[in-house]
Amino acid sequence: MINYDVDVAVIGGGPAGLAAAVSAREHGAKNVVILDRNSWLGGILPQCIHDGFGVEETGTSMTGPEYAEKYIEMAKKHGIDVMKGTMVLQFNKKLEITAVNKKGLHKIRAKSIVLAMGCREKTRWNVMIPGNRSSGIYTAGVAQAFINLYNIIPGKNVVILGSGDVGLIMARRLKFEGANVLGVVEILPYASGLPRNVVQCLDDYDIPLFLNYTVTCIDGKERLEQVTIAQVDDKMNIIPGTEKKIKCDALLLSLGLVPENELASDVGIEIDTVTGGPIVNQYLETTLAGVFACGNCLQVYDTVDVLSADAKNAGKNAAKNLTIQKEDKKISAKIVPGKGVRYVVPQRLSECERVHLTLRVEKPQESSMLRVIAGDKELLKKRLPWVNPANMIEIDVNIPSDTIAFMQSLEVTLDDH
Amino acid sequence: MKNFQVAIIGGGVIGSAIARELSKYKLDVVVFEMGSDVASGASKANSGVVHSGINSAPSSLKARFCVEGNKMFQSLADGLGFPVRWVGKCVIAKNEEELSELKRLKQVGMDNSVPGLEIKDGSEINESNVSCHAALWVPTAGITLPYEFTIALAENAAENNVKFLLETKVTGLKKQKNGFLIKTTKGDFNSEIVVNAAGLNCREIVSMLEEPDFQVYPCRGEYLILDKKYRSLVNSMIYPVPVKELGVLGVHITPTIEGNILLGPSAEFIDDAEDKRTTKEMMKTLLKEAREIIPAIPDKAVINAYSGMRCKLASLKEGGWADYQIEEGKQTPGLINLLGIESPGLTAAPAIAKEVTKMISQSIKLKTKNNFKSRRVKGKRFSEMTPQEQSILIKKDDRWGRIVCRCEHVTEAEVIEALSNPLGARTLSSVKYRCRAGMGRCQGGFCTQHIVRIMEGQFNIDVKDMKLKSPDSNLFYGRTREVKDD
Amino acid sequence: MITEKKITCIVCPIGCKILVKTDGTQFEIVEGNKCKKGIEYAKNEALDPRRMLTTSALINGGEWPLISVKSSKPVPKEKIFPILKEIKKNAVDAPINSGQTIIKNVANTSIDIVATKSVKKL
Repeated sequence: MINYDVDVAVIGGGPAGLAAAVSAREHGAKNVVILDRNSWLGGILPQCIHDGFGVEETGTSMTGPEYAEKYIEMAKKHGIDVMKGTMVLQFNKKLEITAVNKKGLHKIRAKSIVLAMGCREKTRWNVMIPGNRSSGIYTAGVAQAFINLYNIIPGKNVVILGSGDVGLIMARRLKFEGANVLGVVEILPYASGLPRNVVQCLDDYDIPLFLNYTVTCIDGKERLEQVTIAQVDDKMNIIPGTEKKIKCDALLLSLGLVPENELASDVGIEIDTVTGGPIVNQYLETTLAGVFACGNCLQVYDTVDVLSADAKNAGKNAAKNLTIQKEDKKISAKIVPGKGVRYVVPQRLSECERVHLTLRVEKPQESSMLRVIAGDKELLKKRLPWVNPANMIEIDVNIPSDTIAFMQSLEVTLDDH
Repeated sequence: MKNFQVAIIGGGVIGSAIARELSKYKLDVVVFEMGSDVASGASKANSGVVHSGINSAPSSLKARFCVEGNKMFQSLADGLGFPVRWVGKCVIAKNEEELSELKRLKQVGMDNSVPGLEIKDGSEINESNVSCHAALWVPTAGITLPYEFTIALAENAAENNVKFLLETKVTGLKKQKNGFLIKTTKGDFNSEIVVNAAGLNCREIVSMLEEPDFQVYPCRGEYLILDKKYRSLVNSMIYPVPVKELGVLGVHITPTIEGNILLGPSAEFIDDAEDKRTTKEMMKTLLKEAREIIPAIPDKAVINAYSGMRCKLASLKEGGWADYQIEEGKQTPGLINLLGIESPGLTAAPAIAKEVTKMISQSIKLKTKNNFKSRRVKGKRFSEMTPQEQSILIKKDDRWGRIVCRCEHVTEAEVIEALSNPLGARTLSSVKYRCRAGMGRCQGGFCTQHIVRIMEGQFNIDVKDMKLKSPDSNLFYGRTREVKDD
Repeated sequence: MITEKKITCIVCPIGCKILVKTDGTQFEIVEGNKCKKGIEYAKNEALDPRRMLTTSALINGGEWPLISVKSSKPVPKEKIFPILKEIKKNAVDAPINSGQTIIKNVANTSIDIVATKSVKKL
């Protein structure tokens, strides 16, 4: 066992981990280490070769690899230790991490830990698509890695299930590589990805978008041969008689992402069943003191810009944690999603101050009123011209110290305007 | 042309068990398997149950081989390094009428010398999520991993010089003076004896030599797999009373070695033996029927589905039940047919192998090998080692330090070992079934790319030739950018 | 000839469907834009639609088999496939640094193709 002591250990070297590590250094942490299981830094970014990253953050549109390299340079400049090809097997309540790489087993004793493990893609079995277990069925991200990193093209005649941004971007990518993209199938009445991607990835190349449709059967005793798609009603039940069969040799699944938190739940950190990420307070500290969470393992973000901003916050707090005297937190109020709101992060409040909330609504709606309520007090009221579950909402809200004395919880609601 | 003494057609659990049994003797044995690995058919897709022998009439071959096989299982597991756990099973009765069926089953079991059978009151069983009127407790029923069991048998046979020819389909058989001419997709072979262990294709094989006097009725069984989170729903296997009109045991609830729970199988007689599709309707039915036993199963607990195909010799009209037929071809001496080997075939396999060996010994004098390796050297998984063991191995070979499958903590060394198996199976599934890479929550989302790189870089497999599980299940179309050879 | 075109605005997530009339040089909004930002976008889309182009190129002797690339500025829509064709024919040798030009004046557009990733020599 090789032993180390560090101030801040960041688990995961994707965009969140990099931003958190850089920020931890900037806020006074001396020994910061990033542990990543891949042989490279940047996580998923190197395979996201399309542009559109960093627009909100820097004003210029970068490709994924460019965005990653920017942060990798910063990490280098800040003298952050990087352990690549290193898998964290577990960590305990004393913040001792066990990790493995080709040099052996490592025990890393950290004063703070930042969780930045990212997420994984939902598979065919998350939505239980019946039929054969043929080859040629890939999640969109896996197909993206094969095409963009490993020089391997999964199929020639492709159907994509799910109109999230990854699905849309892969439709164009495959078209560029000479594949026939036979359609993007979406169960909702609207595309889940950005309009920009619908226009520039589908409309530009006349790729059909089947709204209110889903894949109902997969056929192909060995390699995929055909999929059946069918229309659904407003309760998402399949409408008999609307089945269409599409001959294809590959099916890409863009069904959404699931935060990766086995490490966190193994040590007993509480997980929010809606976000799939750890329950955190406004410092992005989990229910285990000294352990912070950020990036897609906290909640699945829409853009890397917002993700990085939050991750910097986690890194900063992980660094501050080193100097703050550990004492019982003064308060511990819950922040709960009310009417019309699916979830709010953070889920806990430890101190009354200005806090940054990120949330998602339950359904698309034009012109609505967002409220933050503490008991019978309205702390914030904001009119929103347009909301959609696919678009995360960020708000800052001031919580005056007198509100909290008798308060059990803070509620965030969305009403029709 | 290569000559063998015994040619086994089919590398399922039966063919592999026979191969392993024969590998104890000085014999030239070959196994022809049309799939890309052993356990490609029904041997892979079943409940993984080691049956006790309460379900078949005492005079039947099913009962005899099941009871004998059951007794052999533990020592085989110890020697060959595959898992078996004796979790026991409860056959539950919902009412007084079904209780009389339990009594009948108990009597059948006792006639078959199955030990420890006990009828308990519904309140006495050790299952808090099951409510029933009464239950028959069967302590000698167990669970195993059917594909690991088959792989273990086959690999040990291969280590003892049985030749396995994968992706080799037998296309013709001809009786000759001294045995048979065997035509395959990989060339022609001779063999003195042919063992027909072709499962669902057993009739096709017979018809190459003589007019078969039987029919095969494929009967599909679909399963659902529950997430490991729900493992504590049951302690043992829970069965309803058997469905007589289908000749099957009914939808039961089975804990697996990996820590999941299986629901199923359904029983659906269909025409196309190759149609292993799962269906939405059956997924719903299975969940409904399982909930009649355990109401507490949530919808989202289901994480996977698969189906297997039973090889039945009796049609739906005939009640679905027929005994095994293990005999020489009616007009073809030297052809040993194993027909209708369905449940409890997995349990019966080692005993059937002994029987077939005995049959072979009547025409070939069997001499035991003195260098037979009865044990298969199967190292521990990285994830099961102590930190010390892990450190030592990484020091010896640093590929033990690279985790390839993050869900199941499988290392590069284990993937390479799996790809180096003595059978020469090189598909993604053959890796999965040997070292568990790709079996976790992400279903290969992370490790597939790494395994593909290992196949490419260290085994020189062209991306166009990489397969998921079977000869035509290619993984990829080709290169994004064609690399030019200068 | 004057034609009508329906353009989906991508300036914000609302995605207004803007109907425009154009003869290729002249341009007029018919209806559909909820704000002024949409006008500028619709005009460009109607008269001279351009796209940033991102793809990958083969790299010899590198730690990766491919290198990601982009156009140095947005390319005319109708040039996308001719440019892709030219990139596919090309292979570069490692090492390449991010920002390095790989193809100058690709498909006679006076636009360059630039690496977006650094790939070291193996």
